[in-house]
This record gives sequence, C-alpha cells and structure tokens, in this order.
Amino acid sequence: MKTLKKILIKMLIFILCLIETYPIFWMLTASFKQQHEWVSKPAYALNSGFHFQNYIDAWTRGHMSTYFFNSLVATLVALFFIVYFSVTVGFALTKMRWKMRKKVAMFFDMGIMVPIATALIPLFQIYNKVNLLNSRTGLILVYIAFGLSLSFFLVTSYMRALPQEILEAAVIDGCDIYRLMWHIVMPLMKNAVMTILVLQFFFKWNDLLFSMTFISSSNLKTIQTGLLYFETEFGAKNWGAIFASVSMSVMPLLFIYILLNKRVIEGLTSGAVKG
Amino acid sequence: MNKVLSNKKAIAIFVLPPLILYSILVALPVVWSFYYSFFSGTPGLKWEFAGIANYIKLFKDSNFKAALWVNIRYIAIVMLGQVGLGLALALMFEFWLKRFKSLVRTLVFFPVVLPTVAVGHLFAKIYEIQPNYGLLNSVLSAVGLESLVQPWIGQASTALYCLIAMDIWVAMGFYAIIYYGALLDIPGDIIEAASIDGCNGRQLFRHIIAPLLKPVTITCLVFSFTGTVKMFESALALTGGGPGNATKSLSMYMYNVAFGYNNMGYGSVIAIFVFALCFVGSKLIRRFDESY
Amino acid sequence: MKKKVLALVLMLCLMTAAFSGCGKDEGAQSNEGTSQESNQGSSDNVNTSDFTGEDPQLEKHIKILSIWAEDNDNGILINNILQRYQDEVNPNFSYEYELVSADDMKTKIATLASSNDLPDFFAYESGTPLKELVDAGKVLDIGSELERIGAMDMMNPSAVSLLKNLAETNELYDLPLGLNIEGFWYNKALFEQAGVEAPETWDEFEVVLEKLHAAGIQPLSCGAGDKWGATRLVNAYTVRLLGENAMTAAANGDAKYTDEGYVEGAAKIQEWAEKGYFGQGVTTVDMNTAGTMLCSSQAAIFYNGSWFTSNLNDPTYNLQGEEGIGFFNIPVVDSKVSDSNSYSMNCGNILAMDKEKYDDGTAWFLKYFVEEIGNEAMSTQGTVKGYVYTVEEGEMTHYTSLVLDKIMNAETAFAWYEAKMSSEVSTVAQENVQTLINGDMTPQEYMESIQEAYDLSR
Repeated sequence: MKTLKKILIKMLIFILCLIETYPIFWMLTASFKQQHEWVSKPAYALNSGFHFQNYIDAWTRGHMSTYFFNSLVATLVALFFIVYFSVTVGFALTKMRWKMRKKVAMFFDMGIMVPIATALIPLFQIYNKVNLLNSRTGLILVYIAFGLSLSFFLVTSYMRALPQEILEAAVIDGCDIYRLMWHIVMPLMKNAVMTILVLQFFFKWNDLLFSMTFISSSNLKTIQTGLLYFETEFGAKNWGAIFASVSMSVMPLLFIYILLNKRVIEGLTSGAVKG
Repeated sequence: MNKVLSNKKAIAIFVLPPLILYSILVALPVVWSFYYSFFSGTPGLKWEFAGIANYIKLFKDSNFKAALWVNIRYIAIVMLGQVGLGLALALMFEFWLKRFKSLVRTLVFFPVVLPTVAVGHLFAKIYEIQPNYGLLNSVLSAVGLESLVQPWIGQASTALYCLIAMDIWVAMGFYAIIYYGALLDIPGDIIEAASIDGCNGRQLFRHIIAPLLKPVTITCLVFSFTGTVKMFESALALTGGGPGNATKSLSMYMYNVAFGYNNMGYGSVIAIFVFALCFVGSKLIRRFDESY
Repeated sequence: MKKKVLALVLMLCLMTAAFSGCGKDEGAQSNEGTSQESNQGSSDNVNTSDFTGEDPQLEKHIKILSIWAEDNDNGILINNILQRYQDEVNPNFSYEYELVSADDMKTKIATLASSNDLPDFFAYESGTPLKELVDAGKVLDIGSELERIGAMDMMNPSAVSLLKNLAETNELYDLPLGLNIEGFWYNKALFEQAGVEAPETWDEFEVVLEKLHAAGIQPLSCGAGDKWGATRLVNAYTVRLLGENAMTAAANGDAKYTDEGYVEGAAKIQEWAEKGYFGQGVTTVDMNTAGTMLCSSQAAIFYNGSWFTSNLNDPTYNLQGEEGIGFFNIPVVDSKVSDSNSYSMNCGNILAMDKEKYDDGTAWFLKYFVEEIGNEAMSTQGTVKGYVYTVEEGEMTHYTSLVLDKIMNAETAFAWYEAKMSSEVSTVAQENVQTLINGDMTPQEYMESIQEAYDLSR
C-alpha cells in the first residue's frame, strides 16, 4: 500500500513539473519551426530541424535587442531606487523617532490600494504638461513611485523584527545615523531586499499598462509592448519568429534565475514575510 | 540613542524624496481622478461639467456591470488558485518530496519570470483551434478525446476560465516558494510531537500548520489581490477582451472609454470605482490579520 | 490610358449619386490653411508662395505617426516616398516615422490632440472619428491646401467625394490611402473540387456554400477575431435586403436598427455559423489568418477588400498563384433593391495632417507625396490608393486589373457597417458580433444592443 502511495505521489509531482515546464519547452522547440510546419503538422510535434532564421528575424526585424535593452534599463534603475528607498524609509518609519511618523506610514500604506488604472489618466495629463511623455525618465519615475508602497509594507515587517540591542551597541560604539544605516541595517536586511528585488522585478518587467500609455516611439518600447505589436510588424502571423522573440525575452531571465536560484529562494524563504 | 534616532536631517533626507515622488505620482492622481470624474469628454477636445451624471450613468451601464462581473470572478478564482495551489505545492515539497527538491522548486518557479504578453501569445497558440489545432486540442485529439476539442478562447463559456488557468499557472510557483519558506520556519519538533500524539495529516494541517501560516497567507493574499485587481495585460494578450466582452475587465473598459471614446471624464469614474474596489478588498483581507 | 479616365468619370458619378443621400453637410471650417511662419526663416508669406517651380529645399523636420510597419502595406509606400524626397528632392528634409498599433491609434491621437502636439501626418479613421478632430479645429483643410499648391488634380475625385461625405464636410480633411471595393474572394481549385461556380444571386450563393460544406471543404474563412471581418458580412446581406442607404437611414434615425431587414442581416451570419460554414472557433481567427487560409486552400471563400491584392500579388503568401483566386461581388437578393453593380467601397485608413504645424515646408512635401503615391502604389504593390497614376495596364498583375475592372463596373456604392456609427455604437456592434456568431445572443438581441447604444449616445 505504501509503495502505491509513493508511486502515486511521484507521478503527481512528475505531472506537476510537466505542466509547469512543458509549455516553455514547447515554446522553445516551436521557435525553431518553419512557417509551413505550423500548418502541416500537429502543434505538439517537435521541430524538424533548427530554423535559426526565426531568431535572426526577431532580433533584427523584430527589434528585440532594443526592447530588451529598454526593459532592462527601466527595470534595473527603478529597482535600485526602490530598494534604496525601501531600506531608508523603512528604517525611518519603524525605528526612528519623529512626530509625523505614524501618519506618513499610513499615507504610504494607502498606496497599496491604488490600482494603476486609477492613476493613469491624470498621470497622462501630468506627464503631458511637463513633457515627460515618451521618455525613459518618465517611465522609470512612475515605476519607482508605484513600487514604493508594497516594498515599504514588506520592509517594515522585517525592520520591526530587528533587535534593538544591535542598534544600541552600534550607537554606543560611536555610529552616527548614516553609518548605522549603511553598515549595520543594510546588511541585516539582505533577505528583505532579496524579496523586494524579486517581487518588484516581476511587476516592472511585466508592466504593460504604463509602457503602453506613456511610450510611443519604437526605440523606447519595452519588451511587453514590443511583443504586443509583433504581429503588426510581421503581417501574417509568423509564429516561428514570434516564439523566437518570446524565447529571447525569456532566456536571459531563466539563465540568471538558474544561476541565482539558491540566493533568490533563500531570500524568499528564510525568515521571509513573517507578517 | 534617541538622539541618533531622531536626527531630523537624516529623516528628511531619507523620507522626503520618495515622499514627494509618491505624493505627486500616486496620491495626487487619485484626487485628480476624483475631480475628473465629475466631467465628461476630454480636456482640450470637449470638456464639460457633468456633476453626478457620470456616477448615475455608471449604475445604469450594462457594459460596466459586465466588466465588474468579469473582474469579480477573475479575482476570486485566481486568488484562490494561485495562493491555494501555491500552498498545496509547498506542502508537497515539505512532506512528500524526498529527492530533486532543488530541481523541482526551480522548475516550478520558471513561469513566474515570463513576461505576461509572452505567456499570452504562448497560450493563444496552445488554445488554438482554427486553422490548426493548438497544443491542447491536438493532444486531446491524439488521445482520442476529439469530442473535447473546442474553441477554448473563442467562446464565452470557456474563455474567462482559460485566462484564469493561464494566470494561475504563471504565479502558483511564486506562492509555492513563499509558503515553502514559511513552512521551513515551523520547528520540526512541533510536527514530530503532534504526529507522535496521533495527529493524522489533515488534523496536523488544520490545527498546527494553518494557524502558523496565517501571517504569510495574509501577505500572499494581499500580493495576489494587488496583482489580480488590475487584470489587464494577460487578458489583452490572450483574448483582447473577447469574445464579445467575456474577458473584458474594468481596467480594459476604462482604457477603452478614456482613450478610445475620448471620454476621460467617464473613464475617471470607472477608475475611481476600481480604486474603491481595491480599497474595500484590501481592508477585508487585512481584517483577518490581528497584528494589524 | 482610356480605361483609366473612364473609370474615374464613372466613379465620380456613382459616388455623388450614392452618397448624396448621406447625412447633413455641415458647414465645414473653410479656413485658409495655415498662416504661421515656417520653422526656419526662409519662407515667403504663405499666400504669395509660388508652387509651380522647383522645390526650394526648405529645412523641415516632420513626424509621421503610422499604423503600418515600415516594411508592410502602406508603410512601404510612405517610407519609399519619404526617403526619395529626402534623397532626390530636398536634402534639408528629415523625418521621423513612428509606429503605433491600430488599436492604440485613436488613443494616441486623442491625447496628442488635447496637448496640441499632433504629428505632422498621422494615420486615422475617416468618417465620424475624423469629424471630431475637424470640429475641434485640429486638422488641416487639405482640400484647400491642395488647391493652393496646385496638386488637387492628382486626387481621384471619387475618393475625395467619398471622404467628404463620410466626414460630412464641405472640404477635404484627409488623404486617402486606398480606393477599395469589397467582395468575396474565392479559391478556384476548391470550387472546382466541389463542382461549383461563382454565384450571382443569393440563392445560388447558399447552394454553393452547401455544396462546399458537403464536399468537406470549409466554405468560409472569416476574420471574426478582428470583429469587423464579421460585421462586413452582416452588412453585405443587410444592404442587399434593404438597399444602399440602409445604414445611413438607421444612423439618422429614419429607421431603427431593430427593424426587420437589419435583424435578418444579423440572422444570416448566425445561421451560417450554426451550419458550420465558418469552421470551429472562428472568433479566434484574425483577418490575416483568414486570408492565408483562403490562399492555402483551407477555406474556399473569404470576404475582403481590394487591398487584399497586395497580399495576393505576393507569391510567398498566395500559394494559389497568379490566377488561382477569383472574385465575385456580394450576390443579389432583389436586383430592384440592390443590384450586382452595387459595391461596398471605402478609402481605407486615411492620413490627416496637423493644422498648427503646417507650413510651406510641409506644403512642398505634401505636393511631392500626392504626386508620387499613385505611381508608387501601382508599381510596387499593384494597388489603387485614390490618386492619379500613370502606370500602363499591361504592367499590372492579374489581380490588380481584376480589381480595376470591377471598379469600372461599379455603378453604386455603399459604406461598411460601422461607417456612420459613433465610437460607442461601433464598439457594441463589433464586440457583440462575436457573441452573435457564437450563438450566445439572438439576432434580435444583437440589433437591440446596437439600438440601445445608439439611443444612449444621442
């Protein structure tokens, strides 16, 4: 009986892994298919030969290089500032003493409840007036602003758990506030930072609403908007090239993920989100 | 100690820049949206004061009601699916997976890193039926289940659920990892003690594990809710809102109204409503968290 | 050469006749065009500029917002002309060509309009959407400008007349990028296989569909995923039942969308869907896919416009070769109501121009554009864009002359289903047609939803 149970469980896990990864595997193999293969053979058939032209098409005609660069720059810069602000403001909101502390904390907290859709129209007007439309800066600014609330929420729970003694010891040793921040607090926040990085990366990398609304010139488009308009570029649906571009947008991420896998998961799991 | 911690200059340096950014780009627009909702048309093109007329229009608007119903179903099922299945996966990792732990965890997290539009394209091809069977249909056909072959995203009865399935597939790995971390924190002795005392699996879960996971669950629900209330990118990429308006969310409707019909005033009303929805939802979820 | 002149004259007649019953002719802004200084101080007073001589090579940078990629459809034509103008005529000319998806076009334009930052040229929809911009004084009175710079005679009068009627203006406010007729394209090989011929009456049509279906061939491919591909079919039957003014009458309130003929039009498409003529899941098929299905013998008949010839002339797209695809007009129900010389016609997406930024620099380019595009289109793609061109007939492909032939035979014209609808009504008509095809909505309910949206928007 026990062995049956074991086998069933193993099968379940196997099926699970299959469901999670097969679509990606399919996408990769399909990206090497030629146009006629889509028509003549069933979808699940493996590609017969490696039609690299799809990738070349995607990179050049499909401008994946540009989109990739844009997404990367916007996301990374925004991430940097989000993390920086999270730690500093998080600390200020939990450990430091000042009058408006609670009110400001609540103010930031409300941000979690603001869906992008609500702010979109006025933001558009604002950006219009200050000429930030269709600019990388504009996009990054709005990415940062909307990443703050959730990140603060995460950081504050970690911060509260920070033992007061460590801080006191450092102060006694002669630390001023800035050294306290950078040399003591920051390192202790590694796990929180990791979580924020992953979460915010997920949200920014995937953003479509902002980039769709604010960016109109082709050389500033991000991956998401680029992919969305792909069909227009290729006229008839060139699925091979579309999948190739999707694969390209995904491969580096997967690669980085595999490399950093351990760190990421450690960060997410160890002492994470204690609420 | 206190002196260091109340260093006003430091506080200003730390807090002011993000505060200003946040106020202008997040807080101000909400108020602005509210102001706009009392007008109709587009500023610059045809801008008229409409008073409460817009709000009254909202309640009579059948498109709005349809989109709202789409959103509610989506949010409810996706949240449950993502977090619930994430939890189930985490439990499996902890208790049943003996070998290949690392590998499986990595694999399960893969879909999370994919851009949503890419996933949309991918699944559109999976669900395809004309002119050729996509992955799902061709597999069904190959195993003899031809009768199940249908236009998954082409008919109103299944389109939304296909979209939901797609979004659950993407994120459940993420929540699985978070839960797994939380599970690791539960001291092994408690579990051992409980099983020695005769607790079986289900009781173990209900009385020991679940309560300990409560804070994590709240956080996960908040994350999930924030993500689902938006409902825009994945729907746009997979079905474009169709067929008809079966997968058209409030955000998409708002986008259409504001930018397609050039009625930013009315669009703002919908936007305010989405905000209210988000507000109520978050408060409800937080209710369950005592430490708040 | 002669054939062309005849075609033009016929077009002029039929357009004027057909559309004279259309809507009200509002007194359009008959502004003088622009009167600002040009960008760099090298221009004369606008009114006394002489446009008969050589291009003065004014320094000018223009921005074009387009929905066609550089290497697709109109994008190719526009870019070729831009490039040539810069290389061969005016080296001081520079341009920025920007792509936006067709779905986002109106959004972008609306926001740019409200901040007075419209591009010099932009793709747009003729008819009601353009009218909104005209009323707000944002777009250039192109007609008057063309007269001033002496390029009006490059314009096909029927195209001009069609556009003016659609936007309900006295002057021309947009440039056509097509002069198209629409109808049913069919795969000759499949027709032979099923033993049928191109039908002329609607009854014959139904028989043809039935026979194709019985022979195991998918009778119709339809871009129901793009929605308008389906509403065109509803339009086809509705107009044959009620006459060319059907949609205009409903838009004016002279008839109701819920009247019998209109409901029958909707019912027809649902009937076809139920019989399985569209294959499974047609609402997931877009126009492009539907077109390729016709050309790769996966479907026998496909409704589309004459712009389709640019695809048909492409051997990598059209696997049926130079003469493998045929064309027949929408079959007739009652020739007294609407006969076989009545065609659905349009000018495709159009180009509008910003009024604020317009100056002599733009004017010279406009002149070049209008002079070149007719030939460019005909020689590169074999398509008609609504301008005069001088390519000889012998150089045309089979499909191009086929289309020209039909245009010549056209005596009356009517517009597409949503031509006279406002954005909100048009959206309802298009969104719900998918629900209609899926059988989740009765034809009566479909027309009611349109009527409701119409009443609400009044």
